[in-house]
Amino acid sequence: MFLTRSEYDRGVNTFSPEGRLFQVEYAIEAIKLGSTAIGIRTNEGVILAVEKRVTSPLLVADSIEKILEIDRHVACAMSGLTADSRTMIEHARVEAQNHTFAYEEPIPVESVTQAVCDLALRFGEGADGQESTMSRPFGVALLIAGVDERGPQLYNTDPSGTFWRYEAKAIGAGSEGAQTELQEQYHRDITLADAEVLALKVLKQVMEEKLSNTNVQLAKVTQETGYSIYAKDELQSVISRM
Amino acid sequence: MMDFAPMHSAPAEVPVEHHSHGGWDPYVDNGGTSLAIAGKDFVIVASDARQSDGYSINSRYDPKAFTLSNQTVLATTGYAADAKRLVEVLEQNAQTYFHKHEKQMSAPAMAQMLSNTLYYKRFFPYYVFPILCGLDKEGKGAVFAYDPVGNMERVVYQAYGSASALVQPFLDNQVAGANQRGHEGGLLDRETARKIAIDAFTGATERDIYTGDWLDIFVIDQTGIHREKRELKHD
Amino acid sequence: MDPIEFRLPHTIQRPKATPNHGPRTHTTRPIVTGTSVIAFKYKDGIMMAADCLASYGSLARFRNEKRLMSVGETTLLGVSGDMSDFQHMQHTLESLLTQEYDMDDGQKLGTKSVYKCISNIMYNRRTKGDPLWNAYVIGGLDNGQKMLGFVDLYGTTYQSATIATGFGGHLAQPILRRRVEGREDELSEEEAVQILDECMRVLFYRDARSLNKLRRAKVTAQGVEISEPYMLETNWSFAESITGYGS
Repeated sequence: MFLTRSEYDRGVNTFSPEGRLFQVEYAIEAIKLGSTAIGIRTNEGVILAVEKRVTSPLLVADSIEKILEIDRHVACAMSGLTADSRTMIEHARVEAQNHTFAYEEPIPVESVTQAVCDLALRFGEGADGQESTMSRPFGVALLIAGVDERGPQLYNTDPSGTFWRYEAKAIGAGSEGAQTELQEQYHRDITLADAEVLALKVLKQVMEEKLSNTNVQLAKVTQETGYSIYAKDELQSVISRM
Repeated sequence: MMDFAPMHSAPAEVPVEHHSHGGWDPYVDNGGTSLAIAGKDFVIVASDARQSDGYSINSRYDPKAFTLSNQTVLATTGYAADAKRLVEVLEQNAQTYFHKHEKQMSAPAMAQMLSNTLYYKRFFPYYVFPILCGLDKEGKGAVFAYDPVGNMERVVYQAYGSASALVQPFLDNQVAGANQRGHEGGLLDRETARKIAIDAFTGATERDIYTGDWLDIFVIDQTGIHREKRELKHD
Repeated sequence: MDPIEFRLPHTIQRPKATPNHGPRTHTTRPIVTGTSVIAFKYKDGIMMAADCLASYGSLARFRNEKRLMSVGETTLLGVSGDMSDFQHMQHTLESLLTQEYDMDDGQKLGTKSVYKCISNIMYNRRTKGDPLWNAYVIGGLDNGQKMLGFVDLYGTTYQSATIATGFGGHLAQPILRRRVEGREDELSEEEAVQILDECMRVLFYRDARSLNKLRRAKVTAQGVEISEPYMLETNWSFAESITGYGS
């Protein structure tokens, strides 16, 4: 794609003659530089796993948070410019709370995903030339995991505001290798326990550092307990099952 | 622009024949009665269809119970114009919800939304006493009763409207078994509930001038909403 | 002592707000008024009648007013209450019809739509605390279906086989209910006219704000037809025998 690059990659809202929005495409490229994140859907719930890049021994690993709660029943893992996700997560959380306030029920997972995606293309200038809040596309992709009356679900969003539903999905730097691996290992009736192990195994394969209970995060969302992130000892016990 | 002199003098007196000094009251009570009874796996809703204004009967058939979805019925009493607008607002919101979330709104979701809708108009309320009926998540009959400003309560049965003071004690006795020795309690079966609803309206029609003409009965269960229209006395 | 008020010439000054506690209302009473409208369904469609009087209080001020009008090709509108508010409604409806005509899409505004439109205007105005001081009767045929509805200054709406506004609600409605209710699909035009005249005669006898000069109108499959003003035959010989309060 870089061969066709031209002056059309200047304006964030300008289509190229081939009908492409380069800034959005570049943003999608930015994801591929991010740390790897994996999501696996099972019938019991959804597993999210992310790699933490602990770039210095002086870095406090616990300060890196790449899995966040949106509501009791929805969580999200991210890859790319994680700072950009703040806006999206904030929006998702507000949207979820508003839904519960209005209808006294948890928001459907797909609706949260849609709400987040609605933000994606609100960059550049408005139609009448006023500044909008964002000057460029989000440089982050999300894995949104949740449970609702349709059961456990996993969604992937990208900077173009498109979303897809997946059984298992990897995003970030190691996503190509990880996705291939998931495709081979995933089966529809995988248990949650097996999915925990699979997520870490796949992550391990694509990580540069040696996988440990400090440089990965693991979380699950189940019908019974909702969202929970694994503590160090819980994580260690999954690692020991690998 | 013109420069208007301030109006110091009072507007010219005109020979009007109304001598009200209290200002205009934007509310009317159109009478009528609604009730609902919840069962184990059904709920029954009944409303008479007379619309009145003072001692005049406006219409013998102006329904005040509305199906909002294929699982929910809203029975109203009070000010008919507000009730009709309220129903339109709810239908609109339910439709938006359906498109946004790709599912029908459940009765409890509708109940919460209705409460919010009423409360947002707290300082210029819809003068309506709504009873929202449907099935809850477990499939049990659900009756939600409100005041005009959105206070909501889930109840087993409720009567509202011009004959509520007649019907509610009747239901206390016949549905809840109040003041009945040896009453077993528990929820009514469908046929008993239906008969009690009809009897309640037959009685209310006798004693309340604002209740009568026609009776709309809705039974909501797992299979949907079943409607029945019966005649009440036209006097 | 009142403070001295300076007014600069040729500057726009906002009218000084008079202390007004409580809600602001606009039309707080009707001024020039029309009395009852009566209407009902019959075999071929809808019949309606109203007299030609617009009163100014107890003064019979305008004696050639038209209180029945057509809205589009299949709808008949009757009005009672404030005549200036009615004229405002007329303007609104005219521009609505012009808009629809300009669309040039072959779509015709049906009675139901006109009814809903007027009802919304009335309810929205009452909600603003600025009501149009009227009661409207809307009748017509919507693809063969008879429709007769009512809406008033409160936005209260209902449909019925017989409708009467104002005094007519007390004096004509009982007659209409007895003679029309349940027979709205069999009543012939002749009988319908006879019922209409009977009701209007009773109203003329007893409503002091009425006039023995009236129009009747009908909507049938052939469209709307509003008659020229006509008089009813009356008989006041009974007056001789009235004593007491009636004399």
